[in-house]
Amino acid sequence: MEIGSIDAMERALREAGYLPDRGLATALFLSLKLEKPLLLEGEAGVGKTEAAKALARVLGARLIRLQCYEGLDVAHAVYEWNYSRQLLHIRAAQEGTVSEEELFGPEFLIRRPLLEAIESPDRVVLLIDEIDRADEEFEAFLLEVLSDFQITIPEIGTISAADRKPAVILTSNRTRELHDALKRRCLYHWIGHPTLEREVEIVKLKVPGVPERLAEQAARFVQRLRRLELAKPPGVAETIDWTQALAALGRQELDAEIVEQTLGSVLKYHEDLLAVRDETLLELVEEARAAR
Amino acid sequence: MAEALVRHVVTFGRVLREAGMEVGPGRLADALAGLDLIDITRQEDVYWVLRQSLVSRQEDLELFDRAFRAWFLRAPTAPLARRDELQVVRLERKAGERKGREAATGEEGEEAALGWSPDELLRHKDFAELDREELEQVTKLMAEMARRRPTRRSRRLRRRSRRLRRHHRGRELDMRRLMRASLATGGDAVERAFRQRVHVPRKLVVICDVSGSMEAYSRALVLFLHALVRSGRGVETFAFGTRLTRLTSELRGRDPEQALQAAARRVVDWSGGTRIGASLKAFNDEWGRRALTRGAVVLIVSDGWEREDATLVGREMARLARQAYAVIWVNPLKGHPDYQPLAGGMRAALPYVDRFLAGHNLVSLEELAEVLSGIERRHAA
Repeated sequence: MEIGSIDAMERALREAGYLPDRGLATALFLSLKLEKPLLLEGEAGVGKTEAAKALARVLGARLIRLQCYEGLDVAHAVYEWNYSRQLLHIRAAQEGTVSEEELFGPEFLIRRPLLEAIESPDRVVLLIDEIDRADEEFEAFLLEVLSDFQITIPEIGTISAADRKPAVILTSNRTRELHDALKRRCLYHWIGHPTLEREVEIVKLKVPGVPERLAEQAARFVQRLRRLELAKPPGVAETIDWTQALAALGRQELDAEIVEQTLGSVLKYHEDLLAVRDETLLELVEEARAAR
Repeated sequence: MAEALVRHVVTFGRVLREAGMEVGPGRLADALAGLDLIDITRQEDVYWVLRQSLVSRQEDLELFDRAFRAWFLRAPTAPLARRDELQVVRLERKAGERKGREAATGEEGEEAALGWSPDELLRHKDFAELDREELEQVTKLMAEMARRRPTRRSRRLRRRSRRLRRHHRGRELDMRRLMRASLATGGDAVERAFRQRVHVPRKLVVICDVSGSMEAYSRALVLFLHALVRSGRGVETFAFGTRLTRLTSELRGRDPEQALQAAARRVVDWSGGTRIGASLKAFNDEWGRRALTRGAVVLIVSDGWEREDATLVGREMARLARQAYAVIWVNPLKGHPDYQPLAGGMRAALPYVDRFLAGHNLVSLEELAEVLSGIERRHAA
């Protein structure tokens, strides 16, 4: 699907079940048009990974995800040889000789996410998730791949995706500073927490049939929580989970008792739960229940 | 695109650069290409396109916003910071103070007669008492010390990574190599090839107090660590006074001394006093949560004087210690023979500290380097 403007991108994302703010719609639009990778940062739970999935739905493209972790290497990110098949092949040849080219040919190749994305005949969305967890060496390698969208396998040759570049989204939690060179390759967007109106809208979309009042109160309650000094402020994902639970319990609106019982699905740290109880909790519930 | 707009954007880029952001020609080209794709009468869209193409760090967003307001909306705004913070004013010691110090050197001079070389004197001199020239000499000595240290097994605490490298006695088979070797023998692995996990340096997180009297020590320590680990890679540095700020990128490449002084101006209030607990909390909330501390050696440099409630210090130290591999506290006051950790903040922190060191002169920093190369968890000194 061709996206001709920011408005079109915004509409398409909505139809795909993702409510972007104008900034994110702009970022995704630019990234497609300029054919540049997009680096997304933001607090946990603001929907970084979700954005990539939504983009794939919008484009009708396959999503290929590379989850990064410490120690991630070429064998797990790009390709590996299928050694057991190779061994069987040598054995099966018996006395007949097996040439090296034959043994290291495409049929013995195991394709990992990066190679898959580069090789794919159709357009794909490549999500490189939590790039800050990978080693710096891997980052340098990735930089090469993202510069010319090609991968060289010594035994086979160079595979290039120059004419159908994948749309690339990278996410980072900023556990370390990424290389400037990598950042220069990318557009950058910081996703903040949504406004109250948008959060209510998101909750209503994600929890079908939720009572209007409950959605509003829950969103307002979580927004208030984010203003406290918590060890881990809740993200939109938490608001959705929580409202889902409340709706499943048949609630029409918040009250102190039910909030106390279910707060564990919003606040994930013990010290945060301790900080939000008694008067603080009552006060927050009252504020959330108060009409706009 | 209208030439006027191009000029406008290019000038805006220069404004950002002068404010201390990195805005290269590539980014400007992206910004212009982006503006070409959108309706530039929509101010919000222009804002996003410029921000997404010109900014690449969350820390720079505020600066960008102010510049954007000033430049495109012609709104009055506070002066763009960062650059002017780097204009360094160095405080010269007063003449009287200098005399007093010389008298003190005279005393130490006697020691020199007993076989102490000038370098040796300097090595034992308290950092707070160094003047400009001496500090330069000390910096040189640090570089020398760093050079002398064995480099092959770089003297920094290491941990096992999951990365594999070829090794003749490794534990995992190097299948690719094995397969190639087996070709000659019809599928029998006669020669074996192995890979082994590599060892990488542990992350080092430095959180230093730059308020008042602590600045001299923090400066020396940061200079020392940077000389020790050469490139500064894998070292995350934070400075605090009444607030906390991250210094890692400022320290990379630029003059570390200037960066520290600039930081001091940012995080120290003239009202004085240090908020250790609040600063540690800010660190835990923002950086600990993102697992920056996990498995790291954390080094705190402070005299432990907390302006506010010391119980917060204890609570935040507990959080920090849970995540870190080891916590080292460097307190220059410990260098004095009759020092007792009586300050409230220090007392509250000690139960969570693995090593408690002085770090007030070069000799004690050597000790620190020794500790850094072999510390294990949980053994408070």
